[in-house]
Amino acid sequence: MTNWSDKTLLSVAMLKPVLARVAKMVGVIIAVAIFNFFLVHAAPGDPALVIAGQAGATDEAYMARVRAAYGLDQPLTTQLTGYLRKVVTLDLGYSYRQQRPVAEVIAERLGPTILLTGTAFIISLVGGIVLGGLAGVRAGKFSDTVITVLSLVVYATPVFWLGIMLVLLFAVQLEWLPPFGYQTVGADLAGWALWLDRGRYLLLPAATLGLLYLAIYARLMRASIIEVSHQDFVKTARAKGAGRSRVLWRHMLRNALLPVVTMAGVQAGTLIGGSVVIETIFAWPGLGRLTYEAVLQRDYQLLLGIFLVMSIVVAIFNLVTDLLYRVVDPRIRSV
Amino acid sequence: MMVTKRQFNKLLLSAGAICFADLSFGSTRAYGQTRGGTLNAVLQPEPPMLNIAVNQQTPTQTIAGKIFLSLLTYDFDLKPLPSLAKSWSISADGKTYTFKLEQNVKWHDGQPLTADDVVYTVTEFLPVTNPRAKAIFARCESVTAPDPHTVVFKLKQPFAAFLGAFDIATLPVMPKHIYAGTDLQKNPANFKPIGSGPYKFKEWVRGSHIHLVRNEDYFKPGKPYLDAIIYRIVPDGASRAVAIEEGQVQLTQWTDLELFDAQRLAKNPKFVMTTKGYEYFAPIMYLEMNVRSAPLNDKRFRYAISHAIDREFVRDKILYGFGKVATGPISSKTRFYDGNVRKFDYSIAKATALLDEMGLKPDSEGVRARLKLPVAPYGEMPARACEYIRQSLAKIGIAVTLETSDAAGWAQKIANWDYDLNLTWPFQYGDPAIGVTRLYVSSNIHKVLFSNTIGYSNPEVDRLADAAAAEMDEGKRQALYSQMQKILVEDSPIAWLVEMEFPTIYDKRLQNVVTTGIGIHESFDEVYFKG
Amino acid sequence: MKPALLAFLRRPSGVIGLVILVFVVGAALFASAIYPGNPWDTVATPFTPPGTDGLLMGSDSLGRDVAAGVVHGARISLLIGVTSTFMALVVGVLVGAIAGYSGGRTSSLLMGVTELFQSIPAFILAILLVAILTPSVATITFAIAIVSWPQVARLTRGEFLSLKEREYVQAARCLGESPVSLMVRYILPNALSPVVVAGSLSIATAILIESALSFMGLGDPNMMSWGYMVGTARTMIRQAWWMSFFPGLAILLTVLAINLVGESLNDVLNPRISRQ
Repeated sequence: MTNWSDKTLLSVAMLKPVLARVAKMVGVIIAVAIFNFFLVHAAPGDPALVIAGQAGATDEAYMARVRAAYGLDQPLTTQLTGYLRKVVTLDLGYSYRQQRPVAEVIAERLGPTILLTGTAFIISLVGGIVLGGLAGVRAGKFSDTVITVLSLVVYATPVFWLGIMLVLLFAVQLEWLPPFGYQTVGADLAGWALWLDRGRYLLLPAATLGLLYLAIYARLMRASIIEVSHQDFVKTARAKGAGRSRVLWRHMLRNALLPVVTMAGVQAGTLIGGSVVIETIFAWPGLGRLTYEAVLQRDYQLLLGIFLVMSIVVAIFNLVTDLLYRVVDPRIRSV
Repeated sequence: MMVTKRQFNKLLLSAGAICFADLSFGSTRAYGQTRGGTLNAVLQPEPPMLNIAVNQQTPTQTIAGKIFLSLLTYDFDLKPLPSLAKSWSISADGKTYTFKLEQNVKWHDGQPLTADDVVYTVTEFLPVTNPRAKAIFARCESVTAPDPHTVVFKLKQPFAAFLGAFDIATLPVMPKHIYAGTDLQKNPANFKPIGSGPYKFKEWVRGSHIHLVRNEDYFKPGKPYLDAIIYRIVPDGASRAVAIEEGQVQLTQWTDLELFDAQRLAKNPKFVMTTKGYEYFAPIMYLEMNVRSAPLNDKRFRYAISHAIDREFVRDKILYGFGKVATGPISSKTRFYDGNVRKFDYSIAKATALLDEMGLKPDSEGVRARLKLPVAPYGEMPARACEYIRQSLAKIGIAVTLETSDAAGWAQKIANWDYDLNLTWPFQYGDPAIGVTRLYVSSNIHKVLFSNTIGYSNPEVDRLADAAAAEMDEGKRQALYSQMQKILVEDSPIAWLVEMEFPTIYDKRLQNVVTTGIGIHESFDEVYFKG
Repeated sequence: MKPALLAFLRRPSGVIGLVILVFVVGAALFASAIYPGNPWDTVATPFTPPGTDGLLMGSDSLGRDVAAGVVHGARISLLIGVTSTFMALVVGVLVGAIAGYSGGRTSSLLMGVTELFQSIPAFILAILLVAILTPSVATITFAIAIVSWPQVARLTRGEFLSLKEREYVQAARCLGESPVSLMVRYILPNALSPVVVAGSLSIATAILIESALSFMGLGDPNMMSWGYMVGTARTMIRQAWWMSFFPGLAILLTVLAINLVGESLNDVLNPRISRQ
């Protein structure tokens, strides 16, 4: 990637598969939308009852009005076609529980979730590659054993349990970090001060969420490094007398990264799923918590919207790792 | 943010000389209050909107109480107190109620509040949005405004509980100029409310906080004392406990804190804990039984269940002491209670004897009957209570299966009468005619929540309930309700377990937090930080 | 199989995992003998710390014995873990085998469905399924199976894709073996070992998902499970750390043990096949 021709070659070679991938992504998202629609409507609860129940008392006329107001009285197929038509125009419907357009509700919560999962993703990927790489290079030594054992233990730890333990340690006992929240309320910060403040709140939830995946990537990276180091081309490079670090960086790392990047793409969905638990423990105002609330409230329109947006986010994560893969993998690049 | 150290020192300075003011008498104190400061409180769960006339959830009420005004409020004995109405009178025949409103009350957008707004709210707004208020005000023949500061309610029949229906949850006065002719459910003002109360809406960051600021034009001069109230939304119970302990919030209410946390914090000298201020709601936790089918249609079976549950265990171990053992359908914390009824002591022997007498023999697994109990999806406490009931009834050979679901699924089961047992605690709303008899009279057997879903029917109870609702003489009303309570406990369609209490916990510098029977739903125009 | 067993036993991590697993399975099998009586019954003063009044792990907020809960909970965690994995294996292998063997339209259709399931965040799909079907052992098992099978399908398809081109399969085909026979008798046995390893690891994942569901309040209310115990104890962690510590530890150790065993199995069975 040092000269121009290489770069243009790269972009042309990449464009076509990317387009194909985007087209596929759109298809999957539409399928997800239909699938979700029927799934959500298979639920036995009647949302009108919940709204009516919240009104403290109920009568049948009131419930009929609620059903009519939110289109709950129409046949399923009408609701589905109406829904799909709206989705195309990015209108995700109206949430009866929040009494606002779904798109608006989701837009508000999307930022915090991307911040949280994105940070966790970076923490896990960078941490996993560094620690796993270290362990792989020093295979059999003490530091390798420590990293391997720790990652095994973390991998087996329930994430909610880990979160609670970290809050106890860092927020309650040591008082280094705030136990929950998104930013200091009422502090009226701006610019760097705001982001610094937010960063303090972000650290614990992102670390909790990231730690599990860090363990996965570290284990994968270690195994990958060990395997690559036994391969012929590395042996050849060594035999040719290339410097130790040069061998490591030019040959081993790039090849060893491949399975890690693949795995990272596959794990994107679980990462977002994990945010449901994390956001609940840490009072993080994101999509994960909204999902759980929407499930409990039987907020059909909102649930459909969240699923759709989350599927899109997962698809984007996959696309990004796909591109990353192409950058990293010398074979694909030369195609 | 909470009061910073510097702000707090300022408070200390300005309040320094008048510390002894704390010794004077509650809310009637005329001096000694300190202006300024920001109160941070917990709000849980996040309300869907901020208009109490449209949404009746408890958190909506907490916020709306600060923003909107009602005609009356109620003291700890549920006697009416002035609020937006400065005085009122009732005609001799008990059919005409005349309210005189405060002068100089303005909406937060500067428009004057008049009797017209009250009439609009009662006749056009509430019938569309609040079924409970609709049922009460449907008793009116007419609601009129003879002048801008007078409202007259004419009833078709005398209704003894009527004066109890002017609280903030039942009749919050809405601005006609904002709502008239709009879609009430979707009006943007439901999210940026324009009220007339002591605090104005400033900002709502969803998932984070709701920020209210002092209304400079509040009709009571010099009030409110606080500069702002910020309600912080904290969805996790353990986090809420940390929040008040670390000083990030200074006030929690209802079940914001897990009750064992409340029990622990109550002992902390930094905080004040009170269980007053819930008299208007006064829920009784009870186990209701669908009496339509065998064996629940047999009084002896219901007695057996009542004997098999240790109410003191429920109070002490599940409610952590926050409550009082209940004896019948009306809470002793509200009006017209009578404890002279049949008693159910905790006795496995009596319970099994009753089942034996019925001829219900244990099968090969030791089971005499199998029942379904849907678990109300309202957190840990009801879940623990249902688990305890299951274990208790197992001891007398009744196998209970717990069914968990989301709020909608649970509501559906109860409303469709598709259950055997159900653990719940409806509000009593200050008067049996509003909050209690609705659960027992046969005219209210409907497939909707909070009606007589258990299918109980006793003509004598129906008669007594009707007579008591129309009886204006308090003494005679008491006699009617006493008799009704006796019959209901004799029939025991419900095992009344515990009169619930709720902890309000706040920073001890906060003053006048709980002054009436609606507690923290009050306007907070008297609340201040003591230096 | 004997050399493989020896190879397995030479790995200390695998042996450690096996020992823990034997303990967990033993607890599950003999729960009623170790702690007779119902784990839901109140047997002690609430919030009794571990080691007092003869309670190894203390008591919970209703005075229930935490140790009894942990031992009885082993049953449900293993039951759900094993059953859901078995269901996922059956569905996953079936879909993956057909997709891998047949290729073309059928393959792309089946893989499309697989991809669809993988596009929805798994845990959220599980939450939704359990919430809709109302929580019970059966629905939780079903939901976990639903989110687990796509991985198995992908793995199986990959194996079938490469194995079907092997000489011995081609030879059998020339001898007139039917496709079903080819798949079941010739390809499947050779594709099985990575699938078995993936399956053993997926039991661990299933146990974690079950505990997370229970933690969110979506467990079976009639069954004592570890996730339920941590979920109800989490708010009381500062009063009674033991209530969430021991069941949490039980999850951790069980999952760890399964992973250790699964990995050693992998090293022994598939020395040249990289892990998925």
